[in-house]
Amino acid sequence: MMRRTNVSWLVALLASALIVAATNGIADARTTGKVKIPTGGTLVLGASQEADCADWIHLCAGSSWGQWTMQEQTIPRPFNYAMKKGNWTEVPSALMAGMPTVKTVDGRQVVTYKINPKAVWSDGVPITSDDFAYTLDQIVNGEDIYDATGYMNVDKIDTTDPMTAVMTFKAGEPFASWRTLFGPSAAILPSHILKGKDRAAEMADGYAWSGGPWFMSWEKGVGVTLTPNPKYWGTKPKLDKVIFKFITDTSASFQAFESGEVLAIYPTPQLDAVEKIKDGIPGSRATITAMTGNTEALWINNDKPPFERRAMRQAIAYSIDRDALVGRLFADIGVDKAVQTLNPPILSRYSDTKAFAGYTRNLKKVASLMKSEGWAKNSKGFWEKNGKEMSFTINSTAGDKRRELTEEILQEQLRSAGFRVSIDNMDAGDLFGEVLPTGDYQVALYAQVATSLDPGLCTIACSENIPGPMNDDSGQNYQRINVKKLDPLLETVDVDTNVKERIRASKAADVVMAEHMVSLPLDPLPNIFLWSKKIVGSVRDNPVLSPFWNMNKWGLKR
Amino acid sequence: MPSMLTYISRRLLFSIPVILVASFLLFWMVRSTFDPCVKMRASKDVEAVTRCETRLHLDDPIPTQYLGWASDAAHGDLGESSRTNEEVSAMVPRALWYTVQLIFWGVLISAFAAVALGVYSALKQYSVLDYTFTGASFVGLAMPPFWFGLMAIELLAIMPKQWLGLDEPLFYFVGLHSGAEKGFGADYARHLVLPVMTLTVQIIASWSRFQRSSMLDVMSADYVRTARAKGVPRRDVVVHHALRNALVPLVTVMALDIGALFGGLIITETIFSIPGMGQLFVRSLQAGDAEVLVVWTVVTAGFIVVFNLLADVLYGLMDPRVRVT
Repeated sequence: MMRRTNVSWLVALLASALIVAATNGIADARTTGKVKIPTGGTLVLGASQEADCADWIHLCAGSSWGQWTMQEQTIPRPFNYAMKKGNWTEVPSALMAGMPTVKTVDGRQVVTYKINPKAVWSDGVPITSDDFAYTLDQIVNGEDIYDATGYMNVDKIDTTDPMTAVMTFKAGEPFASWRTLFGPSAAILPSHILKGKDRAAEMADGYAWSGGPWFMSWEKGVGVTLTPNPKYWGTKPKLDKVIFKFITDTSASFQAFESGEVLAIYPTPQLDAVEKIKDGIPGSRATITAMTGNTEALWINNDKPPFERRAMRQAIAYSIDRDALVGRLFADIGVDKAVQTLNPPILSRYSDTKAFAGYTRNLKKVASLMKSEGWAKNSKGFWEKNGKEMSFTINSTAGDKRRELTEEILQEQLRSAGFRVSIDNMDAGDLFGEVLPTGDYQVALYAQVATSLDPGLCTIACSENIPGPMNDDSGQNYQRINVKKLDPLLETVDVDTNVKERIRASKAADVVMAEHMVSLPLDPLPNIFLWSKKIVGSVRDNPVLSPFWNMNKWGLKR
Repeated sequence: MPSMLTYISRRLLFSIPVILVASFLLFWMVRSTFDPCVKMRASKDVEAVTRCETRLHLDDPIPTQYLGWASDAAHGDLGESSRTNEEVSAMVPRALWYTVQLIFWGVLISAFAAVALGVYSALKQYSVLDYTFTGASFVGLAMPPFWFGLMAIELLAIMPKQWLGLDEPLFYFVGLHSGAEKGFGADYARHLVLPVMTLTVQIIASWSRFQRSSMLDVMSADYVRTARAKGVPRRDVVVHHALRNALVPLVTVMALDIGALFGGLIITETIFSIPGMGQLFVRSLQAGDAEVLVVWTVVTAGFIVVFNLLADVLYGLMDPRVRVT
């Protein structure tokens, strides 16, 4: 009896200890400006993926989560991104003394970056034009670089003035998307630390220096810890520490948020995420935005029968009720309208946002188009020609429940319009590494993701980029779009440094793409950010930099 | 003793070709299925793919590639991950350490619980508790670990937090430490409870059934009846005569099971975000990272071989009637 009592006491003691440990609080509070931002404390967040490496210009670093959790926090960039008059636009970052300028001198494009004299690396050494020149050299002459587009057009960077980097492009090789250079997904690297060393080896597993508000420490497989960089010249972090824990399982990630083990998550817009938000999570807030860099579309192989014919592509477009599809996926979080351009929503400034609006479900038009192509409906209700039934396959990534539901809805809508559709989902590596580049598909469902505010559909829609001998099969126009009227417009968007002219050409290109129905835009894949009410400060999603872009302005309340 | 050493040496030597064949088969399957340079194909640097193919000798026949890897491995160079460019010799031990921690606590708790439940059920055969444990073990065996893990999180972490109005859950379920924490203290224990529970539920169910039937066999043996007839107290009979002999087959089963666990506890590690061997295997397989997978196979097969051997040796040591030859 005595023994049992002792055990009960032990259990009670253990439970009390656990409760005390669980309710252990944080930090004091201090007033900063008008909003009271508490200082101190450790903020733990969930990260859905782990980067493969931290050498941000190397091929192994193409991970969004790597950019959000480590790169943005430690590497300076010329631009930040802000919403102005309903459009996302570039604004100078803390690194810059003003907006970088572009002009043409002797027929060459010249970009001038004025560096903030207060900007220093974590060891106190100023960030200078040498760092721009070193980074350029690494990207142009390095091996296995993720993307050297634009950098290859640069002739030189003048470093005469350490506080001014003057970048001159080669004659006849202007680069309209110059704002994408040195950020946000690339980098400006410290030449005084890395010069003469093997950059890839120095950075791959993380680094002990910083040019941003935080230092980072990466424990592989476990998480990333950010601690304040005392030498940061901008707004200094209020928190003692930010920890990103890698939680790759979506269900576990939501449970970790619900339990308070992590105080924010940035999940992919999956069905269970939508469901959870609809049900509500106590003590939390949700930021949902359809103004994203994503375009989920039915990407059609314009070279594969029967879709080499425009009328067939249009017949498919008129068979689908895209608003109903988007509503079924995202109406619970307020997103119920299909997108009408292949440009992502954040590039609305460059888009004709109604270009594809004419493609609504219209079975009369379907019938007319099909009959004009010599098809007739058979006894089963499917279109048939020369004894062959009209059927095609949609490929997508396996294991994605949202895409599976999208496919089911499409299958149903297309069946009732007379098309037999089969589904073949596969590993993302196979789809993007093999099937799309070789053109061994008819229709594919996936998203294009823009990582900057610069338009540039030529890469995926100009005829010169159809994979083939002229680009060593490295072209990324997987849709084999070959519209002569389209090429000059998209090339203008790529090379013209006049913004107004780019906008005009980009909008005109949207109209041409819709006329030819080269592919069919579906939804914007809304960004979902769930965060605890314990987080204090300016918490806003940024479609280019993620919601974690300004964590130096966040605090944590008890 | 010399014969035992000879036996162990011979078994270890025989296991080398088994491990080599297993690793070659996996290498061959991965190389012929996945393209390790797939990421390079997204690069606008057209030479990136060529460099990758040259570095990995992809133009050579697969057996030649494997021999190249084996030759480097024999010189201590296990190669680099084609996914992360990190040394494989750093990645595998790091993952192994997490899996070893889970296995250690899982096996320790399972062994005590299974023996206790099995012995109790055998001694109190057909009692209410025996039926209860039997029923529970069938439920445990039938329960999918991923479901059990998610339910355990919901019932033991999330709901108590909401009911008690706590700031944090009583039990954590992301990793083995809270951010800044290290070591093996209370924070570690709070992280271990749920993954170990998920890991052990099926093991305890299986081992306790085994222990029960083994104990029942022993308890009905002549020497136990003789001991009881000679007046040896029941407790002494159970502990010193019956249990010791009933443990022999369980120890063998345990050794075999533990060896297989080193391959990684994919579901447990995924649900609880523990970067062990299971997660390493999945991520490497998804990326077609043959360099990591082949080392993973060698390590996993090595543990299986060692624990199989251990089972045989322990059997011989615990049962004097069995001699290795």
